[in-house]
Amino acid sequence: MSEQKQLLIIDDDPDFAEGIKSILVKAKYKVDMAHNPKDGWAALEKNKYDLLLLDVMMGRGAEGIMIARKLGKDAKFRELPVLIITSIREQMAFLFPGGAVHPNFVDVDELIEKPVEPKLLLDKVSALIKSSEAKKKK
Amino acid sequence: MATTVTFSQEIGNLLHAAGGTPVSACMQCGTCSGTCPVGDFMDVRPQRLIRMIDAGFKDKVMATRAFWYCASCYQCTVRCPRGIDIAELMYGLKRYTIWKNQYPEDLIGPAFSETFVKNIVRTGRSYEPVLATSYFFTLGLKEMLSEAQNATMLMLKGRLPVLPARIKRLENFKRMIKRIIPIGD
Amino acid sequence: MTKKTFAYFPGCSLEKMAESYHLSTVEIARVMGMELKELEDWNCCGATAYFHVDELLAHTLCARNLAMAEKEGLDLVAPCSGCYKNMHACNAHLKKDHDLADHINFALEEDNLRYDGKIKVHHLIEVFSEDLKEVKAKATNPLTGLKVAPYYGCQILRPRKFEHENVEEPRYFEDLMTAIGATPVDFLLRLRCCGAALIITNRQAALSMVRNLLQNALDSGADVIATACPLCQVNLECYQDQVNAEFGTKYSVPVFYFTQLMGLSMGIPAKRLGIGTEFLSPPAAMLAACRKAAAV
Repeated sequence: MSEQKQLLIIDDDPDFAEGIKSILVKAKYKVDMAHNPKDGWAALEKNKYDLLLLDVMMGRGAEGIMIARKLGKDAKFRELPVLIITSIREQMAFLFPGGAVHPNFVDVDELIEKPVEPKLLLDKVSALIKSSEAKKKK
Repeated sequence: MATTVTFSQEIGNLLHAAGGTPVSACMQCGTCSGTCPVGDFMDVRPQRLIRMIDAGFKDKVMATRAFWYCASCYQCTVRCPRGIDIAELMYGLKRYTIWKNQYPEDLIGPAFSETFVKNIVRTGRSYEPVLATSYFFTLGLKEMLSEAQNATMLMLKGRLPVLPARIKRLENFKRMIKRIIPIGD
Repeated sequence: MTKKTFAYFPGCSLEKMAESYHLSTVEIARVMGMELKELEDWNCCGATAYFHVDELLAHTLCARNLAMAEKEGLDLVAPCSGCYKNMHACNAHLKKDHDLADHINFALEEDNLRYDGKIKVHHLIEVFSEDLKEVKAKATNPLTGLKVAPYYGCQILRPRKFEHENVEEPRYFEDLMTAIGATPVDFLLRLRCCGAALIITNRQAALSMVRNLLQNALDSGADVIATACPLCQVNLECYQDQVNAEFGTKYSVPVFYFTQLMGLSMGIPAKRLGIGTEFLSPPAAMLAACRKAAAV
């Protein structure tokens, strides 16, 4: 059996973060949580993660995107797969009715909208980790 | 499993970039409530609201309208002996309820903000007559008449714009906004 | 002495609703030998509404204006207290928070702009108050006998712009009024918010705030309230009828921009200062100055 994978969730909604954490823990992942972008970045600097689950709307606005861009610019983090979990469409529906959320300008690996279906979440997480490991072996 | 994050921390997370003191530093001196020019109209005054946040009364805080009465005059902020940025906290709470779509339905504030933002996203400038549509029909007959009177007077004095202004590089402007609020095409 | 030049950000209100503020600003700047270059293609500062919805977006809007001023190599001056507060705060955030600045510059790229935090943001009243000697010298038609309630309002002073800023006992508005020959009265509520941000959303509260200010201005013996913000002007003047209807009062207190008063004191004809577009007529001492200005 391969070693336990370590994931980080950055999401300002504690209930939601707890919810996906429990799904992931049941599937034998080791999961850390941060509830604001600042703590999230500190955790990334401190520990090594196999995957980041990232919320979009936090603090002042779409700060999740700020983090994703910063990761992409940093050689240290460029390999880290990022799964964006968002409900921005719901939150900002009055501004952009209908438009699906996608930050085309950041190199995000996957994006799922809240509420999250547990099976879909687990599938995406394991697929992302696998493909990132395959890339590393090359 | 119960969450380990308190409501007070949740609010702290929302304001992580503001750099003020956390609400837990509040010593309940009441300067904010005493100094607030809108205090008489709030269902819960700032001092009490801060205590409610600190005590973790999330549902009660979300049900108040106090922060939608905040005029953003920062009198509380400059006078707080503990350095809590109270006006910024009020902004944070407004954002929080808008994002979560949790605010009393009869409030005009959220709808007004939405109309304002929509309008600027479209043209780059504010245009008063469009804003009026967000609240005009929420008014009682008396207010509606006096508001219409005011508009007529402004018109007569040449103080209402006939056409909405817009910026020249509007396409660039719209793309710029899309980089901040990421939406697909 | 070199001519002072600023990038001028009129803001949405000054386009029509407060055009008289714009006109009078341009006139007195000319007399004072100050150049105000209107920022080309400026956009709305976001007012308070944007901060309710998304602060990053609000900062982006302000940053676009700052970047255009920086491109001109000029400090920015704003006549509206709301615009001033937003852009001043945004400027401070961008200078302090490099991640924020980087992210916002990424958005600004779409408009071929970039902001490096090189400029300062001033309120219009600040730039005139700094040169009281010059103001006094130009005030050839002093507003003798005019009792003015100098109304600061909220956002010029608050939040604090630097650590020990005197936000409780400012004097510059009074000094400016003295310099143009008027008499500033002791206006107790001069720093108290007028509630302009609430006039639409929480009408009762706003009208009551306006009433308190009007009553206090009368109690202090003022003939006129002077403001340095288009939102305060509209709120205090245009809603007086509604205040009267609500509270059974009979207020009729004229409210003018400080720039209009300065302009009159400099002998500029009333019309060029936008006088005539107000709801409530100027008091006698102002009318006398208007006649003198017209005669010049």
